[in-house]
Amino acid sequence: MSWNTVVGLEIHAQMATQSKMFCACRRQAGALPNSNICPVCVGWPGALPVLQGEAVRCAIRAAICLGCDIQELSRFDRKNYFYPDLPKGYQISQFYHPYALGGSIPFTRDDGSAAVLPLVRIHMEEDAGKSSHEEDGTSRIDLNRCSSPLLEIVSEPLLMSGTEAASCVRSVRALLRWVSVCDGDMEKGNLRCDVNVSVMPEDAVELGTRAELKNLNSFVSIERSVVVETARQIDVIEGGGQVVQETRLWDQDKEVTASMRGKEDSPDYRYFPEPDLPVVWITEDDIQQQSGNLPEMPEDRRQRWLNEYDFPEREVVPLLSRRENGDYLESLILEGVKPASASNWFRGEILKQLNEREERIEVFPVTAQSLALVIKAVEEDRISVATGKELLQKSLDTGSDLKTLLESTDEQVQDEGALGEWVDQVLSDNEDAVNKIRGGDDRAIGFLVGQVMKLSKGQAHPKKVQDLMRARI
Amino acid sequence: MVNDAASSLPDPGATSHEVLAHLQSGKCTTKTLISEYLNFLETTGKRLGAVVEVFSQSALQEAEASDARRMAGEALGVLEGIPFTAKMNICTEEGTTDASSAMLAGFEAGVDATVVQKMRSAGAILVGKSSCDEFAMGASNESSAHGVVRNPWDASRVPGGSSGGAAALAGAFGWAIHLGSDTGGSIRQPAAFCSATGMKPTWGRVSRRGLIAFGSSLDQIGPLARDAKDCQIALEVLQGSDPLDATSHSFPESSKEPIRKIGWIRQGFGEGIDASIREQVEAARSILEKDGIEFVEVSLPTMAQANACYQVIATAEASSNLARYDGIHVGKRKDSNDLEELYSSSRSSGFGAEVRRRILLGTFVLSSGYIDAYYGRAQSVRQEIREEILSALEDVDALMMPVSPFAPFKIGERIDDPLALYACDILTVTANLAGVPAVAVPCSFDNEGLPVGMQWLGKHGDDHRLLQLASLWQELNDTWKSVPQGGQS
Repeated sequence: MSWNTVVGLEIHAQMATQSKMFCACRRQAGALPNSNICPVCVGWPGALPVLQGEAVRCAIRAAICLGCDIQELSRFDRKNYFYPDLPKGYQISQFYHPYALGGSIPFTRDDGSAAVLPLVRIHMEEDAGKSSHEEDGTSRIDLNRCSSPLLEIVSEPLLMSGTEAASCVRSVRALLRWVSVCDGDMEKGNLRCDVNVSVMPEDAVELGTRAELKNLNSFVSIERSVVVETARQIDVIEGGGQVVQETRLWDQDKEVTASMRGKEDSPDYRYFPEPDLPVVWITEDDIQQQSGNLPEMPEDRRQRWLNEYDFPEREVVPLLSRRENGDYLESLILEGVKPASASNWFRGEILKQLNEREERIEVFPVTAQSLALVIKAVEEDRISVATGKELLQKSLDTGSDLKTLLESTDEQVQDEGALGEWVDQVLSDNEDAVNKIRGGDDRAIGFLVGQVMKLSKGQAHPKKVQDLMRARI
Repeated sequence: MVNDAASSLPDPGATSHEVLAHLQSGKCTTKTLISEYLNFLETTGKRLGAVVEVFSQSALQEAEASDARRMAGEALGVLEGIPFTAKMNICTEEGTTDASSAMLAGFEAGVDATVVQKMRSAGAILVGKSSCDEFAMGASNESSAHGVVRNPWDASRVPGGSSGGAAALAGAFGWAIHLGSDTGGSIRQPAAFCSATGMKPTWGRVSRRGLIAFGSSLDQIGPLARDAKDCQIALEVLQGSDPLDATSHSFPESSKEPIRKIGWIRQGFGEGIDASIREQVEAARSILEKDGIEFVEVSLPTMAQANACYQVIATAEASSNLARYDGIHVGKRKDSNDLEELYSSSRSSGFGAEVRRRILLGTFVLSSGYIDAYYGRAQSVRQEIREEILSALEDVDALMMPVSPFAPFKIGERIDDPLALYACDILTVTANLAGVPAVAVPCSFDNEGLPVGMQWLGKHGDDHRLLQLASLWQELNDTWKSVPQGGQS
């Protein structure tokens, strides 16, 4: 029998706010354990949560760019469970009345076609702290993450494979990064994903029983876990068994999923309305204000670039993956660099450097302003491409200012008088090579130009040297 | 200049506003006043079990500072020099805040609740912490980890609860404001039992930040004092929006006019209400009618379900609010290598029987499969009660009924029968469910000499109108002025 896989997503995105969701504590990764905490986020007796506007504004931006229907009134509920990294004994979430319904994620089907994954809802909730368990049995608890704002994005189960699931998560990540809602670093855990997987015979109408794979934290684990879980479920059914509804954990090293808890053991969270918080009221004005604050969206930028800059389609796509990359590229153009060379330099040099340095363009030490000076010098033939690249490398290696480096670089010699002297000397020193060329073997011309470059200590303009040489041979 | 004026202390039953005038006229210093009040707390207060901690040193220092301010002619607060206490479930920087529970034994909050900050800013001086039922769950003050509190009018009887300590202090002696909390009657019922005046403000009018939560949608901090005017001055200080409590805001009065038309709640005088209570409150009605107050009978049929509704909502919220006392971060830990075991043994040993019972009830009514039948139903009944009250209040300015269905009972009489104890709340929970303000005042004494109280409920925001009505009553009737024999030091 042929089987279809059906996949749905629950994406947890940590919002990139300055403060936490219900207190003014800094939301900062990498701080000393238990240093960014206050009575509110640790659930001190008597402390009350106060919803921070920043988190709501951030959530509104996410809902706008995913095309959701933002609810005028929503509210928070308490999700009750005991765990040491949840000091209040409940998590403040939106269960009954989430702030956003519907919406969709654009993604690419396995057959290459463009599609959208419909969303059920997005809700806001607070994160829990972090537990780490050591080998000697000690457990340590860090409450810094407590009450950090999260979005939970829940999709319909309409994907057909792990690669489609990964494509969706990539797409959400790009969008949320684009509008500065989420940093999107899966390895740092600020974007996490649960995947629901079920299988059904190809001609069936009803969905099979699903298993939920928890806390997948890389694209590889999303892709592979769906493949492995699909195979497992098919094995169970073809072996005469039944798939049970359960939560499973993915082991990336062993490439297996293992049961964590069945439906019967699933906790009863006893959701009820959070009495300490008033309803969340999002007005049309609030939405307008956020949509007015949104940067140019990727699709709009793509269209504009194709029209204004005449970029080939294949060049545009990689430039759209992060908004800040495109912003840098655009700054080069604003500084007077020709669009084609800006694109070449960015895709060739800058992306390579960012990769090697493992850093983001936001912290790249060379400003678009000074790089533009170098590119323009190349465009105007004042320095060679090789020199331009060397200058960039030198600036990155030594930390010296690129503009200063450029100013102390000798420009290429283009003057025919000076070039003629070097050419004449090389021609007279290398009669053999000159004779070969005269005899029809043109290969030696490169050698002769190289000799001129050497003699001029790299100052000669190679194209002009070659032209002169041909004229004189 | 002030002489050594110990001989000119105010009367034991004097109100705070009388004491303010007393201090203002220089008849005694704040230090003399405070030291005499501390003496009352150390003797009568402790004998009744009403006060748990007395902050003598800091209170005397603050009194001296207040005297110095007065001498220097500096600006003075509206409660300058007046002693105040906070219930054991209201956080104070000084001392412990254990909600009268072994679970929180020795717990130091380290910060003042907003209400405590506001009292201090108004010049009032924190003198101690009053006992209460464990986590404010009770109507007899018999479940406090600090022992039973006794009624100042009859030491063999309960003072009511859960703000029993505050009410016992306010009933026994004047001069002070006592901060209590009211989730289902916890200010009004003990006020009635101890012949004090107490009020539950409109929900949201007074910040709850710093109150150890019981049932958050019902909890409200309010004052207990000698008379309505004291409560009015205190409420002026306590009320207002607090950036640290998202549910707090300021409320306009529905009208500036004094209350002239009162709804007589039929259900407040029906089955289960002792005849002697009914008679005393009816007599009060006649007195008010003679003064020209108009009475009309109103019926609130859904009130019959109020107590059941309250028990579901209050316990549901409590089960969640008290989850944080798990022995991990806050609360007495019984260590174990097994996490489940650590939770269950810490919570089983830390909480008393009544608190455990309510956590279990609350957990049950929110459980999958039962939540609709219990919590969901209770929420709709709550909505009906609220609508019924508000609709009744469209025709009248206030609603009136007794506070407690019966007089203060003997210590031990009801403690083994939870249902008999829950019956204490039948007339008080309605105001909490509707979120409306309610004021309890001494009405009279029954033929055994035990205090009888009555209460008025008003529209949301009509707190001060109710207190004005209470002041009118206290001009017409001087029951509130009585101080128990031997009540004072």
